Amino acid sequence: MDRSFLADKDVISASRKFVCIRLATYENADENEVLKGFFARGGNLENTVFTLLTPDGKTKLVTAGRSPAWAFGGVSGRGINAQPEESIKKMGQTMEAIALAYPGKGKAAKGSPPLPYLADLRLALNITAADRQPLVVVFSKSAEERKKMEQELSKVAWSDQFIGDAQYVFASDALEFKSVKKFKTKSGFIVIQPGTFGLTGEVIDVIDAQLSADKLIEPLAKALDKHKPSTLTYDQHRRMGAQAGAHWKSATPNTDGLSRRGGGRRPRR
Amino acid sequence: MTATPLGLDKLWKESNMERKNLILSGILLFAPLVFFGQEPPPESKTEKIAWHGTWKGGLAEAQRTGKPIMLVSAVPQCHSVPGVW
Repeated sequence: MDRSFLADKDVISASRKFVCIRLATYENADENEVLKGFFARGGNLENTVFTLLTPDGKTKLVTAGRSPAWAFGGVSGRGINAQPEESIKKMGQTMEAIALAYPGKGKAAKGSPPLPYLADLRLALNITAADRQPLVVVFSKSAEERKKMEQELSKVAWSDQFIGDAQYVFASDALEFKSVKKFKTKSGFIVIQPGTFGLTGEVIDVIDAQLSADKLIEPLAKALDKHKPSTLTYDQHRRMGAQAGAHWKSATPNTDGLSRRGGGRRPRR
Repeated sequence: MTATPLGLDKLWKESNMERKNLILSGILLFAPLVFFGQEPPPESKTEKIAWHGTWKGGLAEAQRTGKPIMLVSAVPQCHSVPGVW
């Protein structure tokens, strides 16, 4: 059974009261600096970072570290998917408490939630493979058309039916799809099955770019249902990926471990 | 800098009270189904966290809504093999 912090139902429930941001470490120099502002032993960015922040993104509300275990107790490194129940419970309770202290603007918030985009299609294939989720690409050469598509899709993406079920990225150039099979250069919501190792993808379905939110629901649900997640274990994935020559080069140098030896400290409390 | 929201203990207690009320509501909701020998409705889909994939996009949304931020970062590779956290 998965007993990781971020798979816990109470933590997921509390997360709906937060804006959840997950970055890919070492893939963007500016974001690296943001992360280092919250956690960087010896000034070096490490592979993983976790913290909770005020809505302005300036103040930490819990101890920052490599994982939630640094703030709530638990296990780092091997065994991260078998966290003590009390630590997971503490995370959920702390998030609920913080949500009470920062309840948000509710309906007074101006505008509507944007699509939670990933940075680019190359990275999106990798991340959705890691998450074992389908990827939806808002594709149009026209910025105006993309904006309309985003507005309609965002209403669906944040609905109870679809929230958390897929990830999103936009593309304006067919060349971005060079590693995606069955792609045809036509505007639309392109639903993609990422390759096992996140270097390739295959189009599952293309949904008409002109559809309004209410008309998007059925075809999107059908398309997402066609996604087949990888069933490899972590070790199988790593071994088979190495055998297949699957190789990822991050955009900036990996600085993990430069200021320490032997991995992160064990934060059990 | 780490700040602790004022009255956190009190808020935890309130949160626990809300949880108890939710549990009670759940019992009251499903009790008639049990008494009448019916199956409760099937469990809903597996819920997952909905992530913003960029700092810029996520921060803008937090500022728009006034919601606090959960920030996570990780490398989507292991020993250069991609497609895994």
